[in-house]
Amino acid sequence: MSSEIADTVRAGVGGDLADPVFWRAGAIATTAVMLVILAFLTIDSYRYISVGGLNVPKYDVINQHIGYEFNWSRHAAVPVIGGPEPLFGHKVTEAEAADLILKGKFVIQSRACMDCHTFFGNGAYYGPDLTKSWLDPAWPQIWMPMTGKTTREDAMVEFLMRPDKYPTWDRRMPNLRLTEAEAHAAVAYLKWLSAIDTNGFPANFGQAGK
Amino acid sequence: MTPESLLETAVLLGLFVLAGGGYGGLYSVGRAAGRPALIRAGRACWVGALAIAVVIAAATPLGVGWKLLILVSALVYAVIPPVTWRYLERTHSDEGLRP
Amino acid sequence: MYRSQRLSLRYYAAAVTLFGVMIVFGLLSALYYLYPSLLFNVFNFSTSKIMHIDTLVIWLLMAFLGAVYWYLPKELGREVEGMWLAELTFWVFCAVVIVVAAVFIFVQYGPATDFTLWFINQGRKYVEAPRWATIGIVVVMLVFAYNVVATCVKAHRMTGIMWVLALDLIPLVLVYLDAFSYDRNMSTDLYWWWWLVHMWVESTWEVLIGCVMALVLMDVMGTSRRIVETWLYIEVMLVLGAGILGLGHHYFWIGTPQYWLSIGGFFSALEPLPLLGMVIHAVYDAGAHRLKTTNRPAFFWITTEAFLNFIGAGIWGFMMTLPQINLFTHGTQWTVSHGHFAFYGAYVCGVIAVFYVAKQKTSGAAYLDGKAWKWAYGLLNIGMVGMVMGLLLAGMAQAFFGRAIGGSTLMAFTTASENPWFVSGMYARMLFGLMFAAGYVALVYDLVTSPRRIATPALQPEPA
Ligand code: HEC
Ligand code: HEM
Ligand code: HEM
Ligand SMILES: [Fe+2]
Repeated sequence: MSSEIADTVRAGVGGDLADPVFWRAGAIATTAVMLVILAFLTIDSYRYISVGGLNVPKYDVINQHIGYEFNWSRHAAVPVIGGPEPLFGHKVTEAEAADLILKGKFVIQSRACMDCHTFFGNGAYYGPDLTKSWLDPAWPQIWMPMTGKTTREDAMVEFLMRPDKYPTWDRRMPNLRLTEAEAHAAVAYLKWLSAIDTNGFPANFGQAGK
Repeated sequence: MTPESLLETAVLLGLFVLAGGGYGGLYSVGRAAGRPALIRAGRACWVGALAIAVVIAAATPLGVGWKLLILVSALVYAVIPPVTWRYLERTHSDEGLRP
Repeated sequence: MYRSQRLSLRYYAAAVTLFGVMIVFGLLSALYYLYPSLLFNVFNFSTSKIMHIDTLVIWLLMAFLGAVYWYLPKELGREVEGMWLAELTFWVFCAVVIVVAAVFIFVQYGPATDFTLWFINQGRKYVEAPRWATIGIVVVMLVFAYNVVATCVKAHRMTGIMWVLALDLIPLVLVYLDAFSYDRNMSTDLYWWWWLVHMWVESTWEVLIGCVMALVLMDVMGTSRRIVETWLYIEVMLVLGAGILGLGHHYFWIGTPQYWLSIGGFFSALEPLPLLGMVIHAVYDAGAHRLKTTNRPAFFWITTEAFLNFIGAGIWGFMMTLPQINLFTHGTQWTVSHGHFAFYGAYVCGVIAVFYVAKQKTSGAAYLDGKAWKWAYGLLNIGMVGMVMGLLLAGMAQAFFGRAIGGSTLMAFTTASENPWFVSGMYARMLFGLMFAAGYVALVYDLVTSPRRIATPALQPEPA
């Protein structure tokens, strides 16, 4: 073993390009360096992507108004957290919000929403991207009138429980038998999701015709 | 990025790598088959790649850093085929495996 | 023939079968885009697509295992250690796949509870299989790793290829552990999910197929070990050098810091370069050994692998990998176009070559050639290229009308999806998909029928 290491070092220093040992040293060194860099970047990225980090807000942000506006210094659209606007008109504590989001994620995984939709553009492409679904003008413009609900979140719950009843075009969403509690949690999840800073994805959201 | 320039830029980026690959492909086939015409066609591909890189640098809304990266990669694409080929010949001749 | 080679044939048979299942569900998934009311509320697009991409992962994995079980005894000059375990896990693997498929098809989804994640569906792309099955797959991979390492130890022999293979199995299994994850934070969830998906297809699988191709090259083209191993090291260096931080091209928009835009774009620009090197290498080998090869289909598929890997991963990847472009193409049919082309070029072509190596051996044909393989070759390749062109067209229409102009809302998504360019792309995908399926039928026909000129019928062909 130690003679192998010696060989490796010798070839690495000597640099005989036709010698496999030289390239073996290169492969090991390159891989190691890249992995170390990746480890550091991962640790640093966690400052941004953990809940309450620089880009991902705490779960109780669902008590707030959420907007999405172009930021000239960032050259990208960013979420704007506004004044109080409790979901379903009912302010939740941080712990309650965390539970709701936990449940929401269970809904999303158990019904495999991601095998039709994308979140942050990841998933499947049969249905629309849900990153900013909370802010979609379709809720006030199409689904609130269609479901007869007066708030966006009520319309969302009604839609998610019976999507097959409220199609906007021929590619409909099937009924995945969400209970009312499950639909509530899914809506909370979508509201929280829309408050995450995604470096401007999706671009020009809702800007068509403006 | 306007909608038009988005598609144009993406297509140019694709064509850029295609032309770079065209050089590698034609050059190596030309060498293997002993056909200098193919090697020349390969070099023409690389000139194409360089031209595309220049167009990307001059006429697309990509950031400066990306444009530089593309221009530098155009130079890298120029050396890969001959260097790789020579290296292959050298390793294979060590083994007495050349055709 | 070694006992492990007979196991290998069983793995190939299972892989080819699942390849067929995958195509059936691919075609079905494509049909929903044309007839959205199809099986509505009964068997939805999501379920069909899960079947399509999960069988994809499993059949390629099975083919890789088969290829390693095929070459391991040859490489080390002795029977594989722990064969009874390997044979047992093959049946475990098959049973797991069948039960999971049945649950996906008949149960589909469950309530928002832990129970669903354990026994029905985890709902994370590519790794939807419930947790119990994930444990099964980890066990299969661990037994496989044990077979490899124990055989090396018993043989008192370790070749360069075996070192690379054995070391590659560590990250391969490690990143797969993310398949168990449940994380309520979508950003961290996707952060690690991409370690699994990207590090599999652009790092660990690339290295694995590199090892398999090295073994095939020595076998089919008679290249010397020293050369093959030198190339393998170079390839590992370049692929991992660019691919590990190339991970950054998935960290543009998931809540990650802005510096990933630069890192991801930069390293993905490097990713096509090693693939180009492989093209040149393939041409060199093809030129040097063309006259010596006795296995024409394997020879053609290996060479094609190098070219299509470069085009599908290199060109199609680079086209949309710079962040300024990706902002608009991300998560559209453009992605699907690249995904199909890259998977096909990098893995499917290589795996088909491996099938033909086994076919030559089992049929005892001194020279393998004929008509049927050419049909399969033509139909599969033209079918795939046609499909990805259709998808590219559809993706461009989405990026243009749905994203850049429309602004990504439901309305924009709908408008883009009704655009004639998008719709034509979807029809083209369907038609060329049918052609691809015809190519699959030709491939299976060619693999199971015995070749016409059998010089030394040493062994009975296994039912493949
Ligand atoms: C079989 C595919 C499929 C599955 C699975 C699916 N959806 Fe949908 N979804 C759609 C389609 C198609 C639409 C567009 C419906 C329309 O416009 O009529 C849609 C629309 C939506 C919308 C409105 C989007 C907007 O921004 O206006 C939301 C929200 C939504 N789905 C949430 C979910 C959630 C949450 C799940 C999982 C519990 C889910 N979907 C599962 C296909 C699906
Ligand atoms: C063997 C090689 C490769 C394979 C098998 C492969 C496969 C895939 C697949 C399946 C996806 C879709 C993932 C998903 O969202 O489900 C994807 C995405 C992506 N790939 Fe590759 N790829 C390969 C190489 C490359 C290379 C070399 C590049 C860059 C030059 C690249 C750039 C990308 C990018 C940018 C995405 C994200 C697409 C999006 O934004 O939606 N890939 N790849
Ligand atoms: C008859 C041929 C095929 C058809 C019709 C087909 C169809 C489809 C469809 C409809 C999807 C869903 C995409 C979406 O969400 O909109 C898909 C996804 C996918 N298919 Fe196929 N497919 C076929 C063959 C293949 C082959 C041969 C491979 C592998 C080489 C493959 C790999 C994939 C992958 C990796 C995905 C996920 C990619 C992504 O979502 O970006 N498919 N396919
Ligand atoms: Fe990737």
